[in-house]
Amino acid sequence: MRLWPRIRSQLRNLFLKESVERRLDDELRAYVEMVVDEKRAAGDSASEARRVAISDFGGIEQVKQAVRDHRTGQSLETIWQDMRYGWRQVVRNPGFAATVIATLALAIGANTAIFSIVNALLLTKPPYPQPERLGAIFRHVEGSDPYDGPSGMTGEQWELLRDNVPSVIAGISSRGTNGVNLEAAEHAVYVYDGRISAHYLDVLGVHPVIGRNFTEAEDQPNGPRAAILCYRLWQRTFSGNPNLIGQTIHLKGEPYTVIGVLPRGGFTPLNADLYTALQPSRTGEGGGTNYEVIVRLRDGANWQQANAEINRTWAGWAATLARQNHATRFYFYTIPLMKGQSAELGPKALTLMLAAGCILLIACANLAGLTLVRMTRRTQEIAARLALGASRWHVQRQLWIENLLLAGMGGGAGVGVGFLALQGLLSLFPKNYLPVAGVPLDGRVLGFSLVASVLTSVLFGMLPAFAVRKVDLRSAMSSRALAGGERLRLRQALIAGEVALTVVLLAGSGLLIHTLIHLETLPPGFNARGVMAAKASLNDARYHDPAAFRRLLDESTAAMERIPGVEAAAVGLSLPYERVLNDSVTFTDGKHTGQEAQTDAVYATPEFFSVLQIPFLAGRSFTASDGPDAQDVVIVNRAFARKFFGDENPVGRTLRSGPGTAVIVGVVGDTQISSGLNAVAPLQTEETMYFPAAQIRDAGLLTLVHVWFQPSWIVRTDRPNTGLTGQMQRAMASVDPGLPFSGFYSMNDLLDETLATQRIEVALLGAMTGLALLLSALGIFALVASIVAQRTREIGIRIALGSTLRRAMASVAVPGIRSSAIGLGLGLLLCAGALRGMRSVLYGVGVYDIPSILGVVLVLTLVTVLATTIPTLRIAKTDPAATLREE
Amino acid sequence: MSPKQTNLLQGTLDLLIMKALGAGEMHGLGISRRIDQITRGTFVVKPGSLFPALHRMEEAGWLSSFWGDSENNRRARFYRLTKAGRSRLEVETEQWQTIALAMASALKA
Repeated sequence: MRLWPRIRSQLRNLFLKESVERRLDDELRAYVEMVVDEKRAAGDSASEARRVAISDFGGIEQVKQAVRDHRTGQSLETIWQDMRYGWRQVVRNPGFAATVIATLALAIGANTAIFSIVNALLLTKPPYPQPERLGAIFRHVEGSDPYDGPSGMTGEQWELLRDNVPSVIAGISSRGTNGVNLEAAEHAVYVYDGRISAHYLDVLGVHPVIGRNFTEAEDQPNGPRAAILCYRLWQRTFSGNPNLIGQTIHLKGEPYTVIGVLPRGGFTPLNADLYTALQPSRTGEGGGTNYEVIVRLRDGANWQQANAEINRTWAGWAATLARQNHATRFYFYTIPLMKGQSAELGPKALTLMLAAGCILLIACANLAGLTLVRMTRRTQEIAARLALGASRWHVQRQLWIENLLLAGMGGGAGVGVGFLALQGLLSLFPKNYLPVAGVPLDGRVLGFSLVASVLTSVLFGMLPAFAVRKVDLRSAMSSRALAGGERLRLRQALIAGEVALTVVLLAGSGLLIHTLIHLETLPPGFNARGVMAAKASLNDARYHDPAAFRRLLDESTAAMERIPGVEAAAVGLSLPYERVLNDSVTFTDGKHTGQEAQTDAVYATPEFFSVLQIPFLAGRSFTASDGPDAQDVVIVNRAFARKFFGDENPVGRTLRSGPGTAVIVGVVGDTQISSGLNAVAPLQTEETMYFPAAQIRDAGLLTLVHVWFQPSWIVRTDRPNTGLTGQMQRAMASVDPGLPFSGFYSMNDLLDETLATQRIEVALLGAMTGLALLLSALGIFALVASIVAQRTREIGIRIALGSTLRRAMASVAVPGIRSSAIGLGLGLLLCAGALRGMRSVLYGVGVYDIPSILGVVLVLTLVTVLATTIPTLRIAKTDPAATLREE
Repeated sequence: MSPKQTNLLQGTLDLLIMKALGAGEMHGLGISRRIDQITRGTFVVKPGSLFPALHRMEEAGWLSSFWGDSENNRRARFYRLTKAGRSRLEVETEQWQTIALAMASALKA
């Protein structure tokens, strides 16, 4: 049968029903009239002709029905009827409908929100042309110190890659962005600068909407200073002025020429506000693995070729690195850019998706239980329909349609809830946490929600639908006792299942919470109370000169110490809880003489240790006399002393750091930091060397560290001071009016920032666990409540016969408690296997953590007791006389 | 009505209607009369089977219909074969002839 006429008739039959009916009526009447005409022409009387014509016709209504039965879309028509009937059923039980829709909205909402993130991270192609030809370079190391992940590179590696790997065109960038001050005409704003090499944007395939990309000359060390703005910065700060190209703006206190503007939505992995040329070199920044690379396959080349060329080109470097890492196997490989960028977050997102899936299952179990109860209540209605001639298929179809109707409404509400949840989620993430341009609620997400809703309705509708097949007409019509033992067992099994899943989620959250508590309660090694910190960018031409830098620190700390209530002020390159600069030192003394070692390095002004109250274990602090012309001195922490000097006192020993030899003058306690050296946990203590800010004589070093780090001004106050931040800003302005602080922080803010990932994990999994717990509690509650409702009469009789209220209540609560207990046992068994995957995100806590497990048992017991007790209280109100009279 | 009426074989009705319409457009009564005529009274199509068949075939796209005036100037619904209907008629005629031939030879054997 041809498709189009069919569709046309179907639409006509559905929507133009009246006109279709009228046409049929007219047509049949005309037929009869024509027969009458014939008969009259043959000589019959008018009334006789009509009588014969109609009787021959065989009944106009019957013929009409026969035509209707053959119409296209007849099945659609009955489905429409079923839907209307279903809708009436839904409206008649608003409580049931609301429960189902709310449960679905929460479960589907959670899934929609998490899936949007999975979709954006793992399924959406990056917004670049031919994204499958874009890649990142990873390093694979096997041996005592295995590693598999992104490989940063040095200036030398970059030159080799650029010149000797013909299969790809490569671009490099700084690691992440740096906050800098932008001044142009009347604007002064704090923006994030991403530094990129000449062909970086060509590799991505992003082309300026006005202006041009960086040239090779601009990418040479000391080349012309040029900047490319992102579309949003151009619009917001420069009102989209098209004449901006070629004009000068001041960045970091230096003039830069604006050469281009990226298109609207022009996205790069750095996601910066503006871009400047990286100007890579073999020394300074390029002396370490500080560059990040992206590559694009050239036409006709493939990834195998590229991998082979990269490994050949970097063979020398690979051999050195392999030796340093004691590696048994060492190679580089390219991986798709998208995969490379989501390597860290991808598995976490998938774990969350799994948790969300558990919630969907829990919701299904609950809804199946609810629908089962509802079915029991409707047994008589169903039996009546069967008795009146409806087929079992017809009754089942009716039930399925009701389920789909509810699932549709729940799913729709779920998408709404999901959208809100997603907004909440995204606001939880720090800036640039997700390496994607946006998290859209696109067709794929909506499709997923639809499939999830339909799947849910199938899952929760399946059991009741099977139950219909067992409805026995005679007993159902006559009997009032409806609680079948089999159904109760089925519901208990459902509850046990959902409790088991809840236990797994609960245990997972417990472990994450315990980890966060562990990290937050690590002894910090300093006194955070009463300390205020402010950051400013010294990535500024005026402070490349060590003397100017020294003057700024001296005068600004002195001005801050004049603020009433301030006991001491200091500056440090980095603070506890923060990421730290790494440097290498060579020992010129002691058992490690001549050896080179990596250490964390922090420059500090004399009051640094007194502001933070970091205790001295030996020796002295820096003083004003530790100046540029004095003997170089350093202070080391306890971890440094332990590692390199063992039990000996390191004070008085010497080491070489940079050009000069420095004397160790003091030993301080360890503080918690965010490691850049050998990160095993988000917070840890590590060997650290402090050196006086006043003894930095190398302008190159000063410039470089301030590209990477923003130093902090810290003050200790003896009392709370509400105007402190304003006073600190004014103190700074009295020394340099053009140097704004980029922000003020308490030490707890810094701790929160460092532990942001852990907090987000706890918040996300915690929210989902809460949801699971709520749903499970509802499930237990509904089970017990329905048992109470069904057995009111029996309980009335029991009490009348002398049973105590307590015994009656216990007998009703037992099924709920039993299924919860079975679920707990099952869940703990599941945990044994499921939680092992969490090992990588746990710190200071084992996978089999007794406090967490006790917490799980306690919470679940509490919830079970509440969920079973509340419905049983209704029994207390039972009046035995009233229930007996009902008989 | 002829006493020698034979029940219509399944599927024959469609073919007969299309064959009747092969001569030109006709209203329901006309089709009924035409079938009576071409089968020499062997098949009499009653409205109860005629109209469902007409509507079904129109929905399938083999027939199209329009309002017109009958020979007695009565407003009546006329049917005609569509292009798809015409090719369908050819195919079914061929099939029917094959079957009829086969049945005839089978019954003779």
